[in-house]
Amino acid sequence: MQVEQQSLICTGCGCLCDDLDVTLAQGQLQEVANVCLWGLSRFFPTKRLHPKKERHRLLEPLSRLNGRLQEVPYTTALEQAAQILGQARRPLIYGLTNTGSWAQEAALQLARKIKARLEPADLAFKAPYYHSLRKHGLYWAPLEVIRDEADTVLFWGANPLHTCPRHLVRYSVFARGRYTERGVEDRQVAAVDLYQTEMAKFCQLLVQIEPGQELSLLQGIGAHLPGGSGVKPAVKGARKLAKFLSQAEFGVIFFGRGATYNQGLAVLDALGGLAARLGEKQTWALFPLSGDFNSQGLYHLLLNELGAPEAPDFGHEGGVLTSSTPVDFHEFDAILVLGADLFWFLPEDQALALQKRQVPVVSMSPFANRTTSCAQVVLPTALAGLEAAEVAYRMDGLPLVLKKLLPTSLPADRDILLDLIQAM
Amino acid sequence: MNIKITGGRLYDPAQGLDGVQQDLFIKGDRIVSSLQKPDRVISAAGRVVVPGGIDLRGQVATYGLNFLRLWNGFPSLEDLGRLYAAAGYTHVHEPFLTLYTAGYVHRQLAAIPLVDTSASLVLNLRDLDNYLKSLDQLEEVAQTLKSLQEKTRSLDFRLLEPFVRYRQSFYSHRTLDTAKTLEVLTRLAREFDLRFTLEASPEVLELPCPEPRAFHLAVLGRAVTDDRLLELALARLAEGVSADLGFESPIAATPLDGKPVKIDLGGYSPLDLNPAAGDMLPALRLALAHQGPGLAFSLGGPVRNPLEEFPPLFSWLCDRRTRPLVDAQDLADREFSLMDWVWATRTLPAKILGLGDRGHLAPGARADVALFELPPEIPPASWAKYLGRCHTLLKAGETVIENYELVAPKTPKATYYRRRGAKEGPLLSEICQYRSIRPENLWVPEELGRAWVELD
Repeated sequence: MQVEQQSLICTGCGCLCDDLDVTLAQGQLQEVANVCLWGLSRFFPTKRLHPKKERHRLLEPLSRLNGRLQEVPYTTALEQAAQILGQARRPLIYGLTNTGSWAQEAALQLARKIKARLEPADLAFKAPYYHSLRKHGLYWAPLEVIRDEADTVLFWGANPLHTCPRHLVRYSVFARGRYTERGVEDRQVAAVDLYQTEMAKFCQLLVQIEPGQELSLLQGIGAHLPGGSGVKPAVKGARKLAKFLSQAEFGVIFFGRGATYNQGLAVLDALGGLAARLGEKQTWALFPLSGDFNSQGLYHLLLNELGAPEAPDFGHEGGVLTSSTPVDFHEFDAILVLGADLFWFLPEDQALALQKRQVPVVSMSPFANRTTSCAQVVLPTALAGLEAAEVAYRMDGLPLVLKKLLPTSLPADRDILLDLIQAM
Repeated sequence: MNIKITGGRLYDPAQGLDGVQQDLFIKGDRIVSSLQKPDRVISAAGRVVVPGGIDLRGQVATYGLNFLRLWNGFPSLEDLGRLYAAAGYTHVHEPFLTLYTAGYVHRQLAAIPLVDTSASLVLNLRDLDNYLKSLDQLEEVAQTLKSLQEKTRSLDFRLLEPFVRYRQSFYSHRTLDTAKTLEVLTRLAREFDLRFTLEASPEVLELPCPEPRAFHLAVLGRAVTDDRLLELALARLAEGVSADLGFESPIAATPLDGKPVKIDLGGYSPLDLNPAAGDMLPALRLALAHQGPGLAFSLGGPVRNPLEEFPPLFSWLCDRRTRPLVDAQDLADREFSLMDWVWATRTLPAKILGLGDRGHLAPGARADVALFELPPEIPPASWAKYLGRCHTLLKAGETVIENYELVAPKTPKATYYRRRGAKEGPLLSEICQYRSIRPENLWVPEELGRAWVELD
């Protein structure tokens, strides 16, 4: 049996760890080394963080007939998808944060053609961040520099162990950087969260707050920074955090989705203001912790092409409108979902409303998920970075080329989108 | 296609053609001395015919630059390509590519249509500090630099910080001052056929330059902040150093309203993408005071819109009455001729980048030709209006702009880099060992660009 060793880039999360070693035998994946449980689910059909729970891999296109999904040829599924999207008055293309950049470019092309709105799956998380940058300016450092130089790290509403598990060992906490050679011993680490998470095991300071206390805590920190009013903070831990932050030489605030669950716009505005204020005397960066593997690639594309990291809507007369407000699904009468599991994230009432209105959903996915189970048409896709070559942007915006290692008969996301464009 | 451009006034400093009315012949992608049967004749009556422009320092694809679009402070890559072509440019050189942003820069450059591209590899001398101190390892350093240049697909080397300094006081014993660094770079240049672009600073100007041809001083205008530094800059240019002006952009970045936009590339200081409004007069004074061939045209910051930024600067150079009045009394009366303009925006940039078949109109040159509507009677005061927008642009013999309209939006383009054939040594492994990306992913693969052209 011919056994082959290859290096692989993991598409499990925005870290895009490129130090995975895989063993291939007879065109099959046998073993993956250096991978986290999160990443493992990209290569073996298992559930995220639960490697013993199997996930169903989609291998044939499906179409709903008499309420049941049935296998159909690719051309039939493609025609039906083109018909659904082409006949829609207000189509929506949703997701894309877990697809490669070539597919994202094709999706943007499709959105232009069918005059659709293109909605990044994590808009509610990223839009407040970009809003904050617009207001406070930016100090941006790639993870390479953060790993080498950051001596103070604050996680706000983020638990990388659950969203991007190897972030801690590769970039932010335990990594031995060029000028942080002792890893975690050369860094001060703190976290702000609603729960006592696993982060408490290595954070020097974990401030646990109640929902809704974020802004009060940020105000309290501001009051206790040098030059602040010094008013007694309303939230416990503000004084300690202010002291923690002000002793940094090179600091970074990693924020996660938790920062945007409650008053996201205001919290990110305050975090941006805090980073800018700290940055007047020291070096401070504000950095979003993207769980999806190519979220950064999508926003990069939108910035490059449209000048706004927001959801573009090509369905308006007089040109494209961009919106930072998450989509109102009531407006739309057909949805194409790829690179995300829409029905997993959607609140139950909205999911039910979509089903009640019988909004047809076309789903492109390598695995079965809640969205594929509700879809009218399902187009199975090759796994980017294993069965299809692609480009993806790491969470710091550096592009990496994902290789094709395994043969497959399934088309890549981009190929399906280009076929759809042609079929319209 | 065989093309004859007839009736135009040719300006080509490399051949000494100063407005000579002469026909120009193009066969395929090359300029030829004569042609039997042209397929197409382009009338250039009343127009000047010059080589395609080369922006020596077109900051268009720097890592992090796309953030400027948040404030509407930067055009899309598609628009950038069109704006450059409309201004008569066929090549743009990005100044800031680093070891780990190489892939990013190349992907951005590949997305700029119409114009060819290339980039400078910014060296972080902290990667080499111990090797620079021990002079008997210079061959290893030279081989490593050549290897890095090839692997990052860059055209030349650039130093933003010609010194080794650490932000962490713990490493202060490993610092290297500018004088010592320049000494080592000079030896590297002499012994191993290397050339370095230094971002100019008063500190660099103060130091002697024993090997002028080994260095190009970028953004020299910014460093010339007083009369003494101006004298030093002129002395360096007289010694044979080449330089570019680094005009501060005349377009105010108002939407940013002074907000910081800083990108940390791992150097001693971050790259400031929204610097405070600078003084344009030093670059202008330098341009007018220097009489020799060593000064190329460039902008000091991100190129926001060549169609709006370049014409006023040309205007100041070509017509003394349009120059900024404040503190301008001591400016020389000199006015740039069209030959000076072609030299600074075409001929010299091509020489500096080592693009031997560009920047001139001699037979054998690539047929990158720009035609500007500029009747002879137009006074220099109005040149800028005419020279800011080209009437016809040919790139490699293909018509890209005709009668001010873009006619070939899919014109092929390529990214140029230098192939060195250097060996990989232990220093390269040492540099790579600190990276979070494996070397095979650090080096720029084919897929991140579109078409590549290797230069020897």
